[in-house]
Amino acid sequence: MTAVAAKPQAGGAMNPTAMAVGVVMLLIILALCWYVSPGLGLMALIGVTIGGILIGFGTHFIPVGGAPAAMGQAPGIATGVAMLAAGAGLAGLFGGAWAAEQGQVVAIVTGGVGGGLMMAITCMMVNFVYVFGMGIPSASGKVAKDPITGDTQAEFKSQGTEGHGLPFVSFVGGVTGGFLGGAGGTLIYLQLLRLYEAKLPALMGIPATQVMPIAVAAAGMFAVGLFLVNAVLTAYNITGTIEGPHDPKFKRWPRSIVASAVASALCGFVAILIVAL
Amino acid sequence: MVANIIFGIGITALTGALATVAGSAEDTESNIGSQGDPNSQVQLAPQMGFLHRIFNKAVAGEPPAYGLWCALGAGLAWAFMAMQVNAVLAIVIGSVLAVLVQGVYATTAYLGRTASLAKFGQPVYVDILKSMTSVTMAHAFIAVFCVVTLCHLINGALGHPFPLPLLGLIWGIALGAAGSATGNPYYGKERQYQNQKFGAGVPISASGNIVRYAEAGERNSLDNGFFTHKIGGSASGICFGLIVFLELWRTILFDKISAGWGAIVVGILMILIFTVVDRYIEVWARKNYGPYMEAKVAS
Repeated sequence: MTAVAAKPQAGGAMNPTAMAVGVVMLLIILALCWYVSPGLGLMALIGVTIGGILIGFGTHFIPVGGAPAAMGQAPGIATGVAMLAAGAGLAGLFGGAWAAEQGQVVAIVTGGVGGGLMMAITCMMVNFVYVFGMGIPSASGKVAKDPITGDTQAEFKSQGTEGHGLPFVSFVGGVTGGFLGGAGGTLIYLQLLRLYEAKLPALMGIPATQVMPIAVAAAGMFAVGLFLVNAVLTAYNITGTIEGPHDPKFKRWPRSIVASAVASALCGFVAILIVAL
Repeated sequence: MVANIIFGIGITALTGALATVAGSAEDTESNIGSQGDPNSQVQLAPQMGFLHRIFNKAVAGEPPAYGLWCALGAGLAWAFMAMQVNAVLAIVIGSVLAVLVQGVYATTAYLGRTASLAKFGQPVYVDILKSMTSVTMAHAFIAVFCVVTLCHLINGALGHPFPLPLLGLIWGIALGAAGSATGNPYYGKERQYQNQKFGAGVPISASGNIVRYAEAGERNSLDNGFFTHKIGGSASGICFGLIVFLELWRTILFDKISAGWGAIVVGILMILIFTVVDRYIEVWARKNYGPYMEAKVAS
């Protein structure tokens, strides 16, 4: 069977019981947070959870081919999915944090655009190297036609490979994934920053101006950490490689959403406990 | 106001140049050390009976490794600056100490990975260890120094709120991501499999059969660094340079327009421009290189 004809295998099956357990765990963590730090703490945890979900979902869009892509044996970007997603999302977080003073919406969109821009440049340069450095055109191994452009793919796959480079749909997927990741990371940062700004001065007994560097650094580190947690979780869900939104593995995203929500809530709860206890 | 913008543009240009050098050095360092995904073939080759003299230090991906080294360099530089050490000296000392860690990492990784192949008859070459490690360290120093310097400029001159070590971590990971994404295929396909047809991917059946001989004697990783730097290294440098430069440029120039929406609109426009360029490259390749077989046969 060729990859074009391949169907999602057992790895893509959903387990309703496990997902229900995940939802229950999420509700328990939210209830604990409400008990420990109602109001600002709970709002921050909800924001962190949504941010984590955005990162986890966004990582599914990013076309990563891993080691086979490095030899032109499979389509996608030749690196690890968690690493590329983290690189794009953190570039977005960098921009979003800079725009934090201009309001939540502007900062989150700025973070998303930063992540999308990083991925757009990277995907374009990947195709540049494939085409002008190695003389290889793009070809998907998972679909017969590019869902966006309608370009046929099979005849552009070189012999003995599953495709190579980044077809247009993978490029669009990469930009979308970078946008969601950057926006999610920035949302997590902003939620924790607001909480720390409010709670740390009383906790440490110092003025708000002195607490700012500590709040920024702590919120930034937790945002980076949560980014890696969610990107790695998704990497497991897609077993290391994915071509983008047209890949059959993309259909596994509901499972990852639940896992990302639980993991983000747990990590976010720890971040909130720093100032709640 | 105008003076501030001009100052910001100057700093942005400098950081873009530093990022370009960093990207190029990072890719060359990772290719000499064989740290990216193509290292799967370096590890596989002895198992297929092809013994070689290629360095092998891929016990971590490039992004986390560079995240560590750049955060370490930035953190140490930050600590030295807090001790009133001159900023330039602090960055140099911080980068040197970070590169010492990289050297330890490279040495233990090479010994560990290669020793694990002993059952397949792959020797540990001490001369390879001695000659390659210092070259990877030199390239790593250039990359780490450039990243720490650009982070210092972003923090000190442009006023980004993140502390220097956190900026080092973020841009170190981004550097590794951009460098490995752009540079890996050129090292993996074009260099390791130089014996395969140009203009096609490596057939899966050829896996492990990497080129092991040079013009004279056996090929080593310095030959690989020399070869890949010309296109893979340059492309990685341009990629990371564009990421840093354009991200800062749109913020510095357009952030004050419409309460931040100016930078967002410019960012979206740039994404659209890169989308058009990417599509042009894709269509150009399909037209000029043509299909490998008839569409009917392929389907």
